[in-house]
Amino acid sequence: MKELLEKSKVIVCVGSGGVGKTTVAASLGVLGASLGKKVLVLTVDPARRLKTTLGIKEGDQVVQVPLQNSPGELWASMIDAKKIFDQFVMKASENDERAQKILKNKLYIQLSTTLSGSQEFTALEALYAAYMSGSYDLIVLDTPPAQHAIDFLKAPQKLSALFDERVTKWFRDPEGKKQGIFVRMVQTGSRQVLKILESLTGSEFMHELADFFQNIEKWQYKLEERTAGVHRLLVGQQTHFVLVTSFDESKLKEAEDFSKEIRKAGYQLSSVVINRSYPAGFSMQHKAEGTGLLEKKFTEYQNYYKKRDLIYERFQIKMSAEGKVLRLPELETDISDLTGVQELAGKLREAEEAT
Amino acid sequence: MNSIPKQEIIFVTGKGGVGKSAVAAALAKKKAESGRKTLLVELGFQSFYQDFLKLSKVEYHGTPWIQNCDVALWSGPEALKEYARHLLKVEALYKIFFENPITRNLLQVAPALPEIAVTGKITSHPRKVGPPLPYDTLVIDAFATGHFLALLKAPRGMAEAIRFGPMGEQSRSIQKILTDPEHCQYFVVSFPEELPVQEGLELGKGIEDIIGIKPKHVMNKVEKFPEELDTSSVSLELKTFQTYLKVKSEKQKTFLEMLRAQGSVIELPQVFETEGLKVVDQLKEALP
Repeated sequence: MKELLEKSKVIVCVGSGGVGKTTVAASLGVLGASLGKKVLVLTVDPARRLKTTLGIKEGDQVVQVPLQNSPGELWASMIDAKKIFDQFVMKASENDERAQKILKNKLYIQLSTTLSGSQEFTALEALYAAYMSGSYDLIVLDTPPAQHAIDFLKAPQKLSALFDERVTKWFRDPEGKKQGIFVRMVQTGSRQVLKILESLTGSEFMHELADFFQNIEKWQYKLEERTAGVHRLLVGQQTHFVLVTSFDESKLKEAEDFSKEIRKAGYQLSSVVINRSYPAGFSMQHKAEGTGLLEKKFTEYQNYYKKRDLIYERFQIKMSAEGKVLRLPELETDISDLTGVQELAGKLREAEEAT
Repeated sequence: MNSIPKQEIIFVTGKGGVGKSAVAAALAKKKAESGRKTLLVELGFQSFYQDFLKLSKVEYHGTPWIQNCDVALWSGPEALKEYARHLLKVEALYKIFFENPITRNLLQVAPALPEIAVTGKITSHPRKVGPPLPYDTLVIDAFATGHFLALLKAPRGMAEAIRFGPMGEQSRSIQKILTDPEHCQYFVVSFPEELPVQEGLELGKGIEDIIGIKPKHVMNKVEKFPEELDTSSVSLELKTFQTYLKVKSEKQKTFLEMLRAQGSVIELPQVFETEGLKVVDQLKEALP
């Protein structure tokens, strides 16, 4: 971890929903600060108590987390997807009137809050802005909750599909008036497509949709520019990915596939963390003699965790080419405050030393 | 086409990682064994059940899992395609529409269309729209908290935004089924820890606000703990373990009480198995 923290300017924590990405991201932040760095943890939707303890408020303000005896600084910020999306619209639109038109578009209101991919987009926007500000030595990004870990990598493509010039063109110039004869023939097909869509959805929906696409027409360039910038940042030498997973054979299988995708996409995966892999302090070697209830329970646990251990071993062997695998224990108490995060940070350090 | 008087639709949701897919599969198996023809549905583009239930494939059209129970994977674009095919009827028109390379992009991103298409598919049988879904029960392994609420909000939002035309009509009819307790039930799964329970309670309220139906809360991973024992004679390892159990059992008590404060709770056991199928079987046995 020390090496990872020393050589990184950006750490991206990825993984599917409920595996504990946020707490691992916060722990990495604590560790970074303990090395004397000024660290920012960007998180999307922290649990309420974690939010309160870290002092994170709604909106995009950045707050300092009070760390005792730490040579560095820990800062935290919650990403407000709707706000960042709105800000992007303001920046990307050529004038205020256009921006207002989009902000009021009924479909945009749905899009900015519900479209899969919009949260990922805003997370990357926030990361990019924080990075460009140059105010931090290290930024840890906790990626948005997703059903599957892979959703995060696919999000940018999805969003660029929205700005596919060909789609916007349909709505901009459905009659193909500004085009030559050949293009117009192709456009006839498009017109039919629009007609079919209209018969499926109705004219009011089509009106909103056309309005939406006409107004985002100018975004294309801005978005491409930004996408390229974010991509450069993510594939950079000083950016590392940490994949967080939990126990469950299918979850581990998913992590395996995901790590390959990360590599294929040109990103650097540095570690895979199996979170809550065993109860903290539980002895796998001890043999419980006796027939008491406690002994029985102990043996039941041991047998279960031994089965899991075998699965971890297999996982570790398969993953040896992809990155370092760390097993984090399940702490006795829930991690919902700074003390818990600091304890987990300590375990992360221990897990590293053990490998 | 409608030989089944009333199809029940059960949504299973909860915070990520609480085991909702296992609970949904257990519910489906239970229904199937009681003689109801059941379809277990997962949402999205990638199947979880294929590995978890050791199936050869899971696709849009149901694959048999056990007797009386099929498993399917539904995504927005696929659902919309099916709907269009059904509505357009003319194959040539359908082809123009879907074989256009741009349509694919449009369908993925046109705001709220995928959500409407998925909820439309889920409620298609009682609404008599699209091909029949001859099942007595649908069990939907739905998205986690935020995504699920967004899915539920979509038809109402769309019905309010678009008042006229098929989109408005469809959205209103979907909303009508989703809010009908004769058709739909909602299960919120948590396990005895602060974050899942807190999120589960908020999610429950969210569902009630949007849909007007009070969801059933399920507490997964409930353990039986041995009574306090005299450990003066046992080893250090067992003492550590007992402390661990003690903290765990207190936590369980606290969060069970917290969940019970809103009404009845279905309790499911912590299963000490690593294989999906065995987990599902044990959960099924414990279901009321």
